[in-house]
Amino acid sequence: MKNKLNLLAIPVLALVLLTGCKKALDLQPYTSVAVDVAFSNADKCLTSLYGVYDAAQSGDYLGGAGRGYPFGAANIEQGDARGEDVINIAAFYQITYQATYNATAANCEGHWNSLYSLINKANVCIDGFRGAGSRGAVPAATALQFEAECRFLRAMAHHELMVHWARPYRDGNGTQVGVPYRDFAVNVPATVDLVRNLPRAVGDSVYRRVLRDLDFAETNMAATTTGTARTVRATKAAAIALKMRVKMHMGDFAGAIVEGNKLIPAVLTPLTPTSVVSPIGSWALTASPDGPFTNNSSTESIFSVRNDALDNTGVNGALPAMLGAANLGGRGLLAVSPIIWNNAGWRCDDVRRTLLYVSGTNANGGQSIFTNKYRDYVGRSDFAPQIRYAEVLLMQAECEARVAGTTVSLRAIDLLNTVRNRSIPTPATNQYVVANFATPVDLVKAILLERRIEFLLEGKRWADISRLSQEADYTTGGIPAKAVNGAQGLAMYGCGTPYTAGQAGIGYGDYRFIWPIPANEIIQNPIITQNPLY
Amino acid sequence: MRKLYLLLLGVVFAVAPALAQRTLTGKVSDEKGNPVANASVVVKGTTSGTTTKADGTYSLSLPANAQVLVISSVDMIAQEFNIGNLSAINATLMSEDKVMEEVVVVGYGTQQKKAFTGSASKIDAKEFANLITPSVDKQLAGRATGVQVTNSSGLVNQPARIFIRGVNSINQSTGPLFVVDGVPIITGNLAAATNSNALGDINPADIESIEVLKDGSATAIFGSRAAAGVVMITTKKGSKGKAKVSYDMSMGFSNTLKRFDLLNADEFVTITNEKLANRGQAPRAGVNPGGVNTDWQSVALINNALVQTHNLSYQGGTAKTSFFFSANYSKQQGVVISNYNKTFRVRTNLEHEVNDFLKIGNNLSVSRQDDGDQNNGSNSLSGSIASALRLLPNVNPYNINGPSGFNVSFPAANAIPVGPNTQGVDDNFTNVAFTLSQNKYTSDKIRIINNAFAELSFTKRFKFRSVMSADWFNDYSFQSLDPRHGDGYSSGGIAYNANQNILRTVWQNYVNYNFKTKGHTFYLTAGHEVQKQTSKFISVTGSTVIDLFFLKENLISGTASTQQVGGSLSRSGFESLFGRLNYDYKNRYFLQASVRRDGQSSLAKDKRYGSFPGISVGWRPSEEAIWKNSAFLTKTFTDVKFKYSYAKVGNTLGGFPFLSATFGPAPYGNINGIALNFIGNPALQWETSSKYDFGMEVGMFKGRVNLSFDWFLNDVDNLVLAVPTPPSAGIPGNSISQNIGTLQNKGTEFSIDLSLVRQKDWGWDMNFNYSNIKNKITKLFSVNGTPVPYIQNGAYNLIRVGDPINIIHGYEYAGVNTANGYPMYYKADGRLVTHNVVNGLYYFVNNGNDGNLLSTNATSMGFADRKKLGQGIPTYFGAWTNNFRYKQFDMEVMLRYSGGNKIMNTTAQEALFSQSIHNNGKAILRRWTKPGDVTDVPRLFWGLSNNVNQNSIANSRFVESGNYVRLQNLVISYTMDRDLISRVGKGYVESVKFFVQGQNLFVWSKYSGADPDNVTAGGIDQSVSPQIRTISFGMNVGF
Repeated sequence: MKNKLNLLAIPVLALVLLTGCKKALDLQPYTSVAVDVAFSNADKCLTSLYGVYDAAQSGDYLGGAGRGYPFGAANIEQGDARGEDVINIAAFYQITYQATYNATAANCEGHWNSLYSLINKANVCIDGFRGAGSRGAVPAATALQFEAECRFLRAMAHHELMVHWARPYRDGNGTQVGVPYRDFAVNVPATVDLVRNLPRAVGDSVYRRVLRDLDFAETNMAATTTGTARTVRATKAAAIALKMRVKMHMGDFAGAIVEGNKLIPAVLTPLTPTSVVSPIGSWALTASPDGPFTNNSSTESIFSVRNDALDNTGVNGALPAMLGAANLGGRGLLAVSPIIWNNAGWRCDDVRRTLLYVSGTNANGGQSIFTNKYRDYVGRSDFAPQIRYAEVLLMQAECEARVAGTTVSLRAIDLLNTVRNRSIPTPATNQYVVANFATPVDLVKAILLERRIEFLLEGKRWADISRLSQEADYTTGGIPAKAVNGAQGLAMYGCGTPYTAGQAGIGYGDYRFIWPIPANEIIQNPIITQNPLY
Repeated sequence: MRKLYLLLLGVVFAVAPALAQRTLTGKVSDEKGNPVANASVVVKGTTSGTTTKADGTYSLSLPANAQVLVISSVDMIAQEFNIGNLSAINATLMSEDKVMEEVVVVGYGTQQKKAFTGSASKIDAKEFANLITPSVDKQLAGRATGVQVTNSSGLVNQPARIFIRGVNSINQSTGPLFVVDGVPIITGNLAAATNSNALGDINPADIESIEVLKDGSATAIFGSRAAAGVVMITTKKGSKGKAKVSYDMSMGFSNTLKRFDLLNADEFVTITNEKLANRGQAPRAGVNPGGVNTDWQSVALINNALVQTHNLSYQGGTAKTSFFFSANYSKQQGVVISNYNKTFRVRTNLEHEVNDFLKIGNNLSVSRQDDGDQNNGSNSLSGSIASALRLLPNVNPYNINGPSGFNVSFPAANAIPVGPNTQGVDDNFTNVAFTLSQNKYTSDKIRIINNAFAELSFTKRFKFRSVMSADWFNDYSFQSLDPRHGDGYSSGGIAYNANQNILRTVWQNYVNYNFKTKGHTFYLTAGHEVQKQTSKFISVTGSTVIDLFFLKENLISGTASTQQVGGSLSRSGFESLFGRLNYDYKNRYFLQASVRRDGQSSLAKDKRYGSFPGISVGWRPSEEAIWKNSAFLTKTFTDVKFKYSYAKVGNTLGGFPFLSATFGPAPYGNINGIALNFIGNPALQWETSSKYDFGMEVGMFKGRVNLSFDWFLNDVDNLVLAVPTPPSAGIPGNSISQNIGTLQNKGTEFSIDLSLVRQKDWGWDMNFNYSNIKNKITKLFSVNGTPVPYIQNGAYNLIRVGDPINIIHGYEYAGVNTANGYPMYYKADGRLVTHNVVNGLYYFVNNGNDGNLLSTNATSMGFADRKKLGQGIPTYFGAWTNNFRYKQFDMEVMLRYSGGNKIMNTTAQEALFSQSIHNNGKAILRRWTKPGDVTDVPRLFWGLSNNVNQNSIANSRFVESGNYVRLQNLVISYTMDRDLISRVGKGYVESVKFFVQGQNLFVWSKYSGADPDNVTAGGIDQSVSPQIRTISFGMNVGF
């Protein structure tokens, strides 16, 4: 009996060992696809392209997504919070507002990391689209167009990095240290070593490559996009407008004018602002200054980063949440500052004051003036505007005013009026005329003020402070004086009422004028030098 | 089976009145079936009795009142039987040796303790038998050397953090493997909307014993999953003989052990207006005419939270079949008002010997856990503790006219009204009374663990066992956020449901073979195991919900205007071959060798398998002839054993880190998109721990003193490290896993058990244990050939070569400048600087009284100025337990201690010393107010928290010692006299025990926060729920 049982043991054990489940180990992820699938046909290529745009909308923040880094909302909030035209109410933007960044500050890391993440996703897709184009998986023209959109985003990201982490171009004409420049895909471990051998490029080198990308983008992108792609995918006009911005940072106003003329007709009719239409893409101002905000894809919205109710940057990032009054459903975190609100150069009867701003409750239960440019407080679907036609016009106005030498440029005044006239009563009598400006400097100052008013809470303030820092006529001298953190109460607001800023400015020479490179970058990549004193 | 019926009949008929005098017969045999002669057979409580004959039979004339029969024999365990109206009672007596022989539960079998050469700590279920606890992990602290357990908050459903012999990995799992009845189970904090402890599905009352396997040789049989140690849990089985029913209950109340010491309304007004005045601002905090003085902690926390647990178990067995059945209900209300854990658990363990060849069995556990929770975020505006610490004490939580009676600004704004102040709480912290009572965070979990086995005995020495196990976990979570106030306000109310479904199947097949020859004993185990796991997840979110009505229990179709869905699926698998040889020679010399070959799905095909060998040797000099011949040695040192082991074990990886690059979903708004989401490393291999252990066990004075000592060293090599990549490379997650880096854990463990008094009425047993662990990172990765000295781990911690993992790294505080009240620090070079918090600059000063902040002396504090301020994990810990017995009274006192670590108190940094319009801790009253003041608290500056407190950077001002001694348990019990019970209980009740117990009664610590255990693994205190003190009473009744 026992012997027979022993014999039985052999088949039992054999059965067990033979059925050893190899299947248990041969598993593949079900939540992602392999790289070759991502570029296998035109549909997949388009989906991958949208993945790059997504990286512009909501990148990594402290290991999680959301908060709108780099271009989904956060660059707007940070760009304004670094300037003097807003008041930080709660702790949220306090370190930006008070310039207490350190090398481990989360916002600093979030912005840096997500910008480079966007750049790398663009680079990976550039390789992917080129491969798909040469294989014939997509038509060659489509492959070039997709590559062009990636290069547009790559350029925009590098420029944003320069604005926050490097001294402005005009401080030394591009000879100062810039930021690490990345134009190759890092998708295998070995490429990381390449990254570790590249020091920070000098500013000029970064800017030249940014312009090269934008030239390519202009050539190969579509002139228009329609349907859901309108505004949220970049077109030729976006590349041209961004080139204007970049050239202005470089002080190349004549070069910017060449670009601007591609988008602005020769003949202007400032009294009917909507009649000024771009030859490329047919962009034009909306009739009312709130047009770009009541319609995310307005005639004026050249490029915005998409948000919608299903995918947005959340209560801790979305523009209506952060910038909106608490009584309307926002969180009331960044209010309008009396520094701009009370500015005597901003007409009291300017319709923007009533169309785009409201008084409401702030995060601390007090009253402040807030923007309502972003107004979907519940769905948070407001796009993050990056380039509006109004900016093209005002950039061109500034450039024309600057290149005109000692004369006051009429075309500059027309361009300025085109934007301003839609917001002031009776433009025919109230618009600017040459007599309003004693010198071209006064005209430039008026244009710069108009930018602050028109783009208030669109994140453009810091870039202007940075690029103007080297010009005695226009500089704020560094980080400007601001209202004290949390200043509130409607009593401080009043059209034309003088206002004294309570938080002292920080000089241009101070190390805090530029942000620290995140500590992780310095630790993992010692070839990257830290900005001084961090 | 027939015996079972007889038994049942016996139970039924026992109720009938005792019959007239009659004769009882029977036979007594030993476990091998041999007759036992001269066994004593006595009717309990009488003089009626007899002894068995040579063939083991007896015949006894029963007196009229006979109820219980006691059968006993020398060296055997006495047994009792209910006589009832039985006419025959046969008994099988177990030899005392056999039972007393301590065994160690190891992987795929058990071993005799005396032959065990690994390192393990046994925890007897009696140690935590009646304690109120939702899960067993929370009670492991202090009970075993080398096992460091932290209950890092007072939330009842948060799993304890367990490190066995230190932190053994940087990026991979650091928690032990839990094995229940031989099968690894799913553990972790798993629910989607609440904290939830998967280990809570094992009823602590079902546990027979716990064995913590610590060294390499004991764990190597678990191969890849053993790096962090193994906790072997064995559940109860039925024992042969009379069936036993027992009912255990306890009931009590929980309170916070310690709360924060916050300002009252008057103090708040003074401090707040001083903050403002120091920045030239008018007062904003106003005195409330009504005298409102809200203690917001008592709004969020409750007193005397009811806790109760009830267990009913039924167990027994016949010669062929044994069974254990239990049912449990327990409910623990936490101290945060919405926190609770409720469990319903049943278990059936059955074993049946079909014949000599085949034995089958099945262990089935079905449980349901309901959890309730809340927003616990330490930085969340509705975080339960975060907001309770900051809300203004002169504002009322309630308003009879407000929504649901709360003081909130609905519908005008998402704010709590300002009260008598001109400004409300800064940062929009929300009314915690509203959010805790109106928002819901719940999870209902169902868990089925079934564990079936068949054992074939081909010969007595050769057995084959096949175990099939399924562990099925289903979590159904619900969360709703009220639209009127708090987190749901800006979304118009949110309803969220998630379902999580995890199935793990394990199939083990192994053989045991042993043979003896001339003093040599060999014991072989070899087998195969395969494990598969699938986790599925789906979630739905509805925002802007029609009405509050639809926010109560579940998301309802069509009630929300924005609807979002989420889902995920993941799979993993293991396949393993293992073998072990145990050899002993005359109980003197021992050798164990084992090897496991593991394959895991997380590695590339050609790197998938790893082999993990272990070896250990032991020697018992006390068995040597020379020792046995010495009267002194045998009398003093009853049993002495030396052991040494070495093994290599691995660590489990998750996901698919070997895949070179993948694209995952990345929608651009609602437009579909995919993007690079992962870059892996195809060359990735197993992480390997080389574990060394030298140990000594000494039993003295016939077991009245037992000492054990272990020295261990664990060298972890090829760490699977998520090697940080430069963020400017733009790689998803900014890391790529690589086998790089080494770390070391080294330490000693010591334990002594003393049986001090062993008298009839008096008893006193004592245990003291001590463990120390030195953790050191020995190597990280290199960049361009230069070793990287550290990795930043969050804002406060650093992982640095030469230091323990997670040192606290930040500025060294130098006190307050007496001249101007500004904080001072030391630069890296040791120079003193004063921080002008208003302009943000630092100035070199000559000394702490030097108020001259000269612009020529301006400087900054940078990353290079941060220093090591301590380590986050304790270096030593242990416990001292005393058990006293006086007649029927027992008392247990357990003191637990831990120390050597530092705590970075961000609760103080961000809340208690906040410079915003928040309430503060009482300690802020020590602030600098005028030149000459000597204090450690700087001058107040409204709106400048970041500068005054250096938020988000460790600052030695907030770094405190984590040392403590805790009165963990004090239990007093009274066991009723058996005679009394048999008189009162009329034979229906066998035993009764009453007890009162206090758990976590007191903590002695200099730590200023709520509790020195309220920390992360990196030693950061982040506004978590205070710890719980529970006082309960209860009873055990046996039938």
